[in-house]
Amino acid sequence: MPSSTHHVVLGNGIAGNHAASVIREREPDSRITIVSAGALLFYNRYDLPNVFRGRQHWVDYLVHPPEYYESRNITLRRKTQVTELDTRTQTLSLAHRETLHYDKLLIATGGHAYIPERLLDYTKLMLGFHNFIVAMQAQKSVRKGGTVIMLGGDVMGIDLARTVIATGHRVILVLDSRTFWPHEVTPSERVKYLQALTNMGVEVQDSGRVERIEMISGTGSARRVFLENGEHIRGDVVMPFYGLVPTVDFLATSGIDMERGILVNPQLQTVRDNIWAAGDVCQIWSAKHNAYRFFYGYRNVKAMGEVAAHNMTGKKATFTSTVSEELVINRDGTLYSPYWEYD
Amino acid sequence: MIPQQPVYLEDKVDEIRQSGRLDYRSQALPTWCPGCGYYSVTEGLANALNDLQIEKENTVVVSGIGCASRFPFFMDTYGFHTLHGRALPVATGIKVANEKLTVVAIGGDGDGFAIGGGHIPHAARRNVDITYILFDNGIYGLTKGQVSPTSAIGFKTSTSPFENRDAPLNPLLMLLSYGASWVGQTYAGWPHHLAGLVQQALEHPGFSYLHVLSPCVTFDKTDRTYQNLDLTVRELDSDHDSSDLALAMQAASDTRSPALGLYYTSQRETLGQALDQVALRAGAGG
Amino acid sequence: MAYDTDIQISICGSAGDGTIAVGDIFKRAMAHIGYRVIAFDQYPAEIRGFGKCIARTRVATSRVYSMKGYSDVLVSLNDLHAIPHVGEVRNYGALIYDSAPMSAVAEGAHISGHLKPGHIPYALPMREVSELATGANRSRNFVALGFVAGLYQLPQDAFHHAIAAKFESKAAAVTKSALAAFDSGFEAGAASYQFDDVRIDAPRGRKSTHEARMMTGNGAIVQGCLDAGIETFFGYPITPATGIMEHLAVEMPRHGGRLVQTEDEIAAISAAIGAGYAGSRAATATSGPGLSLMTEMMGLGVMAEVPVVIFVSQRGGPSTGLPTKTEQSDLNLAVWGGHGDARRIVLAPTNVEGCRRCAGRAFEIAEQFQVPVIVLVDLYLSNRYETVFLQDENEFLPKNWKPATTPGAGYRRYELTTDGVSPRCIPGEAGGIHTATGLEHDEYGNPSDNSGTHSLMTQKRHEKLQAAIKHPGINFTKRFGDSGKVEVGLLTWGSSFGEALEAMLLAQQEGIRCAAMKVVMLSPFPVRSVLRFYKDCQQILVPELNYTGQFAKLLTSEIALPVTRISHATGAPLDVANLVEAIRRAARKHRRRHNAA
Ligand SMILES: Cc1cc2nc3c(=O)[nH]c(=O)nc-3n(C[C@H](O)[C@H](O)[C@H](O)COP(=O)(O)OP(=O)(O)OC[C@H]3O[C@@H](n4cnc5c(N)ncnc54)[C@H](O)[C@@H]3O)c2cc1C
Ligand SMILES: Cc1ncc(C[n+]2csc(CCOP(=O)(O)OP(=O)(O)O)c2C)c(N)n1
Ligand code: SF4
Repeated sequence: MPSSTHHVVLGNGIAGNHAASVIREREPDSRITIVSAGALLFYNRYDLPNVFRGRQHWVDYLVHPPEYYESRNITLRRKTQVTELDTRTQTLSLAHRETLHYDKLLIATGGHAYIPERLLDYTKLMLGFHNFIVAMQAQKSVRKGGTVIMLGGDVMGIDLARTVIATGHRVILVLDSRTFWPHEVTPSERVKYLQALTNMGVEVQDSGRVERIEMISGTGSARRVFLENGEHIRGDVVMPFYGLVPTVDFLATSGIDMERGILVNPQLQTVRDNIWAAGDVCQIWSAKHNAYRFFYGYRNVKAMGEVAAHNMTGKKATFTSTVSEELVINRDGTLYSPYWEYD
Repeated sequence: MIPQQPVYLEDKVDEIRQSGRLDYRSQALPTWCPGCGYYSVTEGLANALNDLQIEKENTVVVSGIGCASRFPFFMDTYGFHTLHGRALPVATGIKVANEKLTVVAIGGDGDGFAIGGGHIPHAARRNVDITYILFDNGIYGLTKGQVSPTSAIGFKTSTSPFENRDAPLNPLLMLLSYGASWVGQTYAGWPHHLAGLVQQALEHPGFSYLHVLSPCVTFDKTDRTYQNLDLTVRELDSDHDSSDLALAMQAASDTRSPALGLYYTSQRETLGQALDQVALRAGAGG
Repeated sequence: MAYDTDIQISICGSAGDGTIAVGDIFKRAMAHIGYRVIAFDQYPAEIRGFGKCIARTRVATSRVYSMKGYSDVLVSLNDLHAIPHVGEVRNYGALIYDSAPMSAVAEGAHISGHLKPGHIPYALPMREVSELATGANRSRNFVALGFVAGLYQLPQDAFHHAIAAKFESKAAAVTKSALAAFDSGFEAGAASYQFDDVRIDAPRGRKSTHEARMMTGNGAIVQGCLDAGIETFFGYPITPATGIMEHLAVEMPRHGGRLVQTEDEIAAISAAIGAGYAGSRAATATSGPGLSLMTEMMGLGVMAEVPVVIFVSQRGGPSTGLPTKTEQSDLNLAVWGGHGDARRIVLAPTNVEGCRRCAGRAFEIAEQFQVPVIVLVDLYLSNRYETVFLQDENEFLPKNWKPATTPGAGYRRYELTTDGVSPRCIPGEAGGIHTATGLEHDEYGNPSDNSGTHSLMTQKRHEKLQAAIKHPGINFTKRFGDSGKVEVGLLTWGSSFGEALEAMLLAQQEGIRCAAMKVVMLSPFPVRSVLRFYKDCQQILVPELNYTGQFAKLLTSEIALPVTRISHATGAPLDVANLVEAIRRAARKHRRRHNAA
């Protein structure tokens, strides 16, 4: 393998960063570039609920200090949005009108919040929780003892709800079919889990889906949410938690096989020899399920980064998930998701 | 122009004392060689200042370095014996600092046209209101006889032992083309003519250039001697029109029989007037 | 805890991007708000084309003495020029750049690919914002400026004022589009989350009673000249001194002064000496090449005892050298240049305020001691901006020289007096007629090659200058830092003193006992106070911007004691971090020796 191989890792998340560090261990001399649309170094988004506990400096969330990248000679390109992939010339087009050539490419662009189509008109009236800035905004919007209205209620939302309630606020959760995403729950389990949510202090609102959202004038982010049955509730902020969709828009013309995410074999390789995918962005062939499927959560994603890195550096490795996909009810009646685990 | 009648010394001394022009002469005895053409210029300047009633404390004679440049020491006016070649810029500075002063710059041909040659065009084009009297002996006197920028071709000196081959400058033509507003030529052997022109030069508002042909009796025994000059110089044509620059240039081109007199004169804004205009435009005092 | 704001922002672009213009507005606005500001712009050497421009500004709540060795914020208006400077930004500092370039760029040509992991990127579509706000892409610079102001929550109106003032003489549309671009940038900046840890707190404490002004060293020299009532100036253009003449050309005619651009530097100094001889407050300004031409005439000034002031701003040499880079390599020429024993007075201010003071005092000193006075600065000091607080404008003494007590027949222009200073008359004074000359002369001014006369007169010309060391109103040496015995002492001069002082302050924070002394009068040399300082220091470091250690050599020849030279001849100011390292090394050496003993 020529030492000048340029490994480009698209995505500054868990999958991308773990892959980059493994590639570096295995190939001390190759060129590694991590490309990120965000402004920050890799930070721990699982910890973000802590902004409600007063941990409000982004540096406190960093997984690695700047020196980490320097000492490993990993180039980190931030605020660099990829707009197109040309597999023939092996180049990525960047939004600021530059190109980037790769020898081997790992796509680990993760996912972003899914917003049901009927709510797209209200996107501006909601606040996600997908990055540090938004997390800070959300925290700033909620008054002391104020109310967060969560729509949907995937495991990320439920995780956040725990902290929001623990720090003295109210959480009203408007249920949806995607509540508990990505866990698949049967109707009977759902009843149990909803009870667990109530035990956790979440105010479950089961009066139908959201119909529209209105701004309350004279306030910053306070909103009124109108439900199908005509009722409306008021909150300091409205946050959608309908699960994630893979970030693949820039691949439209690339010829990479996709369904919802990027389709890869258990070695995480795409249809192209020199392109792999890892993390929330990929759907991996599962012989067991006889289908391509997603695997979420810290452990899975990190393992994917490792598998991809090995395959990219000439060592065959295969992804298998060891993470349970079952929700658990704790002895105190509260809910627990194995996806919340990270180290 | 050589006096026809015998002159008696006592009469002469008496006349000179009464005239007051001795007031302008210092007590220092000139260090020039006896017979040097420069004496007549000292006399001429003292006369002119006296006739024009210019107070000696309001007169500054500025010179460079050379025999000619010793001049200020022999005048009882303010004097500045500066550096070789730098009489004009120093004189310019003095005039800019105090317009009330009558400033006369003096130097030799080496001082003016060799080392100081870069300054003449600028004094001329700025029309600094000073008088520049250049003593042209065609040789370096003070350093004991080397070739100068006005030495004739074929002239033998200590540094041109095999004869000078460099063409001499034509100072009058240069000054006319530089835009000097008063250009005249005189000869040390015609002291009255000299005195008359010095006075006119002093009276001219603006830059006046007076070229004085002056023999170096010590180092030039062959070329620019009194004998040779007496034979070649002549007065400018009586119908010479000193407002006609082309005519002046034509006259200056005749170097075989140098014409003496006022070649050219014109009136234009002096440096001092220009600076006053600048002050007005800048809104002085406002 | 009181937090001292002390940040440096650099704006880098290509000639034509308006880099220097917005840098100028930034520093003026900051000074207006009440910060202490030091700024130094770097221009391309060539006039046309797309050379590199950098406007660096240091903004602080308390007084600072030099530029910082690193920047907290770098704004790129041209990535190709800015990329080599990315490294000067510290970790958690900000990089602000255009994310919407005019045309596609080659791989590696965009600055985003060159940031270090510790840098905070702010990708701003400057071109697009400019086009939206003004209809043209020309105002990218104002968009960037606005972004900085918005990001750091600086008062918008201070910038509006500075912009309006800058374009006062231009068409109203120019101001309008600059303001529109600035406001759009400001909005974008205010809306951006500030990830960097650059803090610009409001200036604290009482405002000085004197008006704060932004001035360059050259500007301060001009101010000093005007405050001292300069009457005549003669000059010939040369970088970096030209600005002095250009500025005086505007100001002097308004104040009754006269200025002439001469045909060369010889004519400039000649005319200035002529004017000085005639009694006016006269000056010229030049750089090394011009000073070389002036040395003969300066000797005449010494010999004929004529007051004149010569401003010299050094650049890289020898010969034409580095016209747009700084250096302190004309000390030898200023102090010793020329033939004969021709001592003159040389003052070297260390900061912008000092430029004004030295310029003003130079006229007094020249008159009092009847001698040429050189005020020696360098490009770095000439061109760097500092906030200055002007004191009483008329503090400089009017013309006042020793008048002739017995003018008239017995008047001796070069009378041998006890202090060596002779009664001076100028043209126009009836009793004072004399001829000044460059020949050796007797008391009357008559040429004399008598050996006794020569030795007496030479002595007089030298001895009279000694008293200049005590001239009031100016510190010719000044000590800073720890008092009493110290481990390391820094002795330096001119613009380098700022870096030396910064380094000293940093070394003190590390627990090193440290002091620094600036020497403002280089000739005659203030031997006593320098010796006193020397005796207090275990180690003496002499940093300066030249290869041969010209100041160190002057020092050792005057005090006959060894010093450690830190010579730096790169065309750039001293590096504070390197200096601190040198201090540490010296302190370690001293401690080792101390412990061994
Ligand atoms: C706030 C938050 C909390 C979460 N909490 C949990 C949890 O508690 N439990 C759980 O199971 N899962 C959680 N998740 C999901 C979890 O993040 C993912 O499983 C995991 O982080 C995915 O990692 P990744 O490396 O695949 O992608 P990500 O971490 O999403 O990283 C994607 C990277 O790709 C970059 N990128 C995307 N598109 C482009 C482009 N076009 N050009 C350049 N760069 C691009 C982004 O800038 C980003 O750096 C959470 C997700 C979020 C957002
Ligand atoms: C810089 C410098 N170079 C050389 C000299 C020596 N020097 C003195 S006078 C002179 C020439 C004088 O000739 P000129 O100017 O024609 O005057 P003259 O003595 O003939 O009147 C020279 C070369 C000097 N004084 N200074
Ligand atoms: S050397 Fe010549 S020019 Fe000099 S004084 Fe003697 S004669 Fe005159």
